[in-house]
Amino acid sequence: MSETSVLSIGAPGLDVERLVADLQATVDRKAREGVYADARVARAEKTNLVHLRGSDDFLTFYLTCLRDAVFVDISDFEIRERRRFFGPLLVALKTTIWKLLKFYTYRLWSQQNQVNGLLITALESMEEQSAARVAGLEKRLAELEKAAGHGRS
Amino acid sequence: MAAPERLAFVCPRLAGEGAVGGAETLLKNLALHAAARGVAVDFLTTCAQSHFTWENTLPAGVRRMDGMDVHFFPVDERDIGTFLRIQQAIDRGRPVAEADELLWLRNGVNSAALLAHLDRHAADYRAILLGPYLFGLTWFTALAHPERSILVPCLHDEPFAKLACMKRLFAETAGCLFNAQAERELAGELFAYPDAKARIVGMGLDAFEVDPTAFARRRGLATPYVLYSGRREPLKGTPLICDYMHAFRERTGRDVKLVFTGSGAIDAPPALWPHILDAGFVSEQEKHEAMAGAVAFLHPSVNESFGIVLLEAFLAGTPGLVHAKSRVLVSQCRAAGAGLWFRHYPDFETQLLYLLDHPDARAELGRRGREFVAREYAWPAIERKFAAALDALRPVGAP
Repeated sequence: MSETSVLSIGAPGLDVERLVADLQATVDRKAREGVYADARVARAEKTNLVHLRGSDDFLTFYLTCLRDAVFVDISDFEIRERRRFFGPLLVALKTTIWKLLKFYTYRLWSQQNQVNGLLITALESMEEQSAARVAGLEKRLAELEKAAGHGRS
Repeated sequence: MAAPERLAFVCPRLAGEGAVGGAETLLKNLALHAAARGVAVDFLTTCAQSHFTWENTLPAGVRRMDGMDVHFFPVDERDIGTFLRIQQAIDRGRPVAEADELLWLRNGVNSAALLAHLDRHAADYRAILLGPYLFGLTWFTALAHPERSILVPCLHDEPFAKLACMKRLFAETAGCLFNAQAERELAGELFAYPDAKARIVGMGLDAFEVDPTAFARRRGLATPYVLYSGRREPLKGTPLICDYMHAFRERTGRDVKLVFTGSGAIDAPPALWPHILDAGFVSEQEKHEAMAGAVAFLHPSVNESFGIVLLEAFLAGTPGLVHAKSRVLVSQCRAAGAGLWFRHYPDFETQLLYLLDHPDARAELGRRGREFVAREYAWPAIERKFAAALDALRPVGAP
């Protein structure tokens, strides 16, 4: 999915300021098209959230990602082991533990999924209300400015 | 009587084997170059190497090293529980009483033996250069001899810099050597720091020539890689690049490895581990080779006052990919025209794909970075700035 490879910003006369601005504009357009509405992006961003608090656009985008990521995956998964020695033995041990715990943890994860679902719905609702309120205020401000401008002329 | 040109440098650790850190490297290099110019230099440090445990692992005493006298003093006993409790409150932006700020400094890294040495010998030194700013050792030493203390603060935009005790530190000491204009501007915003006490010096870097294929060949890397060098810890943003590279590999299908040099644990998603090469603590030569062969040098930290490794990567002809929230690193990328900055994962993905798909642009960014560092950060230029800063802030013969 290398959509950026179509970018034709060449090396001669390269201006990093412009290059970054162009790449960011591409990102912003693709975000609006839903290219990054992906749970993997939401997960990747978990340690960067503190730096994104000030960005209005990113909140909308992040909520879209979060909708995909919100439910805890309770299905089976591939169990791996990094240590070379006793690797197969440890994988077998971990698999057994997982099988034993699955029954007990299922109820916990189900409840967590319900809570996560409610939270994301509430967050989306708050964000929509806030966006609508800001849009209304901006519209009213524009009307007032227009009226004031007419008054002056 | 001591030579009027004698300088003391105070730093919690001596950079070298087992101790990696930008501020430590910077102070050590400034001291070494002063010593090489014939200035008598005493480097006052602790017996600790690990910035996690601060355990006294080196023997106390004085050793002659590279033309300077290095004095090792033991770290004092401290109440880590108290230190962490207050540090956590500061870190979370909670209001902290001034008494607690002092308690935090007292239970940070300190050395009564080092302070006692300076009580006896401070008058022998033309100036005492200390850093980084946020250690108890720096704070108590500087305020014990404020008229001859010059901070090399390595200042970051972080909660510690906003403490009342830090305002006092910056107000009462003789001056500051900042590493970059962006750091000096930050001091202006935080402390209304006056121009008369501020000088921008930084650190010099020696140009090098290395084989950009050597690292990959030696380490058996057959695919492109990106590199991070330095301490691996959350404050430096290393978990972020692991998460980003994991998402990048999954979303783009590109086989790009993530190489680390330096020390500390790597916090990475399990599925990324087969694609991580942890080279650990390597020689300068190997680090430069690793830099020269990388598609990009990743610097995700937002808490930098200089970015030595980024400048080294520029010297190696490799573009930087830095976090947009780090004003110092972004300003270095802008000034050099040699790096890009990302706000979030989508930027990162797009920029890394751009660098992978545009080798000409990558080479051009690399060429500019190399020229920039060779021009702006050659040691002779830095030595002149350092000498001029000392003359302005602590003229010879000053009381």
